[in-house]
Amino acid sequence: MREFITGNQAVVRGALRAGCDYVAGYPITPASSILSDFVRAFAGELGIVVQTEDEIAAIGQCIGAAMAGARALTATSGPGLSLYSENIGLAQMGETPLVIVDCQRMGPATGGATATGDGDVIFARHVTAGGYPLPVLAATDAASAYRLTYEAFNIAERLRTPVIVLSSKDIALTRQTVDLDAISLPPRLARRAAADNGPYAPYAVDRPESSPAFAPIGGLRRVRFTGSIHDERGLLTIDRGKIERKLTHLRDKIAMNAGSLEDVDADLDGRARTLIVSYGVADGAARVAVRLLRRGGTRVSHVTLYSLWPMPVRALRDAVEPGVERIVVPELNIGLYADELRRVFPARPIESIQRYDGGLIAPRTIVDHVVRAESAKRTEAFQPC
Amino acid sequence: MSATTTPAAAATACGAGPLMCDDPTAHLLRPGNTNCAGCGMSIGLQWLDQALGGEKPVLVIPACCGIVTAGAFPTSAYGVPTAASTFASAAAVATGIATVQALNGETTPVICWTGDGGTYDIGVATLSAAAERNEDLIYICYDNEIYGNTGGQRSSATPEGVVTSTSPRGKTERKKDMMSIMAAHRIPYAATLSVAHRDDFMRKLRAARATKGFRFLLLLSPCPTGWKSEPEESVELIDFAVRCGLFPLYEVFDGARYRINARPDGTPLAEYLTRQRRYAAAAGDPARLERFVAEQWKYLEAMAKAFPAGDDRV
Repeated sequence: MREFITGNQAVVRGALRAGCDYVAGYPITPASSILSDFVRAFAGELGIVVQTEDEIAAIGQCIGAAMAGARALTATSGPGLSLYSENIGLAQMGETPLVIVDCQRMGPATGGATATGDGDVIFARHVTAGGYPLPVLAATDAASAYRLTYEAFNIAERLRTPVIVLSSKDIALTRQTVDLDAISLPPRLARRAAADNGPYAPYAVDRPESSPAFAPIGGLRRVRFTGSIHDERGLLTIDRGKIERKLTHLRDKIAMNAGSLEDVDADLDGRARTLIVSYGVADGAARVAVRLLRRGGTRVSHVTLYSLWPMPVRALRDAVEPGVERIVVPELNIGLYADELRRVFPARPIESIQRYDGGLIAPRTIVDHVVRAESAKRTEAFQPC
Repeated sequence: MSATTTPAAAATACGAGPLMCDDPTAHLLRPGNTNCAGCGMSIGLQWLDQALGGEKPVLVIPACCGIVTAGAFPTSAYGVPTAASTFASAAAVATGIATVQALNGETTPVICWTGDGGTYDIGVATLSAAAERNEDLIYICYDNEIYGNTGGQRSSATPEGVVTSTSPRGKTERKKDMMSIMAAHRIPYAATLSVAHRDDFMRKLRAARATKGFRFLLLLSPCPTGWKSEPEESVELIDFAVRCGLFPLYEVFDGARYRINARPDGTPLAEYLTRQRRYAAAAGDPARLERFVAEQWKYLEAMAKAFPAGDDRV
């Protein structure tokens, strides 16, 4: 059935489809309607929803609920994500499955509460102390907000990690026509459960790429939960070997699954010299620009990133290899992701199209940039030495 | 510490021209702001201005309708220096300002102007800490019993039974008693304010201004948008809230001596409740609210009898 819904409504629907049964949040524009929609959705006792006293409490409740077995979600915007910071570290350290939705708005600080932006793309990756990775997905519209929220629960459960889903004011509050039933979703995953008896270590590192079996805190098995560095049993440790093993695992379980976390939409032309890489709100303009460029005879490739972290390097390499001379990155910030791409593709010119005044990048801006770049290149080639 | 730059010197240094609007005659709340009709906060800001009698305070305002009031130029509403803090840290930012001002020998009052979300919920830690240190601040909470700025969610100041976007069937928890919490900090002065009792309001503002240390003022602020009431009835509503006993007017000195300023006059609770559609869900059980009012007055009268304000000034 085709519906006319906001990105925030799509997030709620995706979470419900994923079996989300615990939501705690604090009012903040433009994320507030996720909280109030869950109040209505859970009125039939499908789950628990709590409006907390602040963001620290919102994510704190979700961590407690998740460690007791719930599939928890919390939604906020940039100022709230700032207050989530320490608890995101706790969720990493305690290997807590948790979905965090960040409906971005213009920053820093209060910024523009009702102005759009994709300025949290690096902040989300480095949101907490220590530098350990966590998966970050980015919606481009209501349909992807629905799918990615669902996928985020699968990733969180499979890897026992907090997962951040980025939305943005223009996705969160804009209504779009979407047929949610037509979106194909993988099967729902649950965290691996611990056996009721036999030896059990709640933070066991069986294999570097897999996460430990789960037993709820307060259940049959003895589970300790701590933000301090601990061994596989959850006991605080000063043994450097155990510390390294634990922290390496926090890195490896994300890094070694980077391939399966890649989520892109690649629209490639083998003879294109320009590759457009887009995500978030700017992706809509990029898609229109690609159509206009091709209609005008310019060959371009386009990759939409739905997963930002880990960076989908394999898919990007596939798109770049055939002879792309420039990578054009339109984004609603000061060129944050373009900077990251420069580290991965140091030999290619990465051309950043930026806008951060609360307005949108127009398709025409991208078209003009590409046309100018292509003709400049051609002129250059014919210049005598 | 060296902090000797005056605001005037700073303005000159950055080459500020006439657009700075440093008009000493400007009202604290300028006309042309975009606040809702019937907003109690707007009345409160105007009366605050009048009570200060031309003295220009520094306002510290966290996320709330009060900081949206500031507006975008040229509808900038505040005619006094105004610092917007993060939601949780109004009392902390104000502490920093007041401390440095005191070191510079300045006597400008520093006033936190905050909503109930920033007072009862997210801001309560910094508020409590500033009160515990007895910082030289006036903290005014305009309590509209709802998160108005984000579209009307419940707060811990929302009364039992009230419908909000996150309590669609009526809130099941009671309103937090912030006056008792603040009085328990043994701060020099705490008082409730009504926009229907102007003399009382003015006297309490002047008393707060004349007192040193941490002062807490709680204003019940009608919000036609959130309360689903008629804007022209805002002041009348607060009058009913006081007269039916739901919102007592009282003062607490040093957290230990109580003075009641107005007692219930037998006005039925229904006069207040039925004029607001937010109470529609609670209307079926007014007895609960009546019990709450009776309990509240039993406590207050007992406190005022056991610990009378006596000859406290003002």
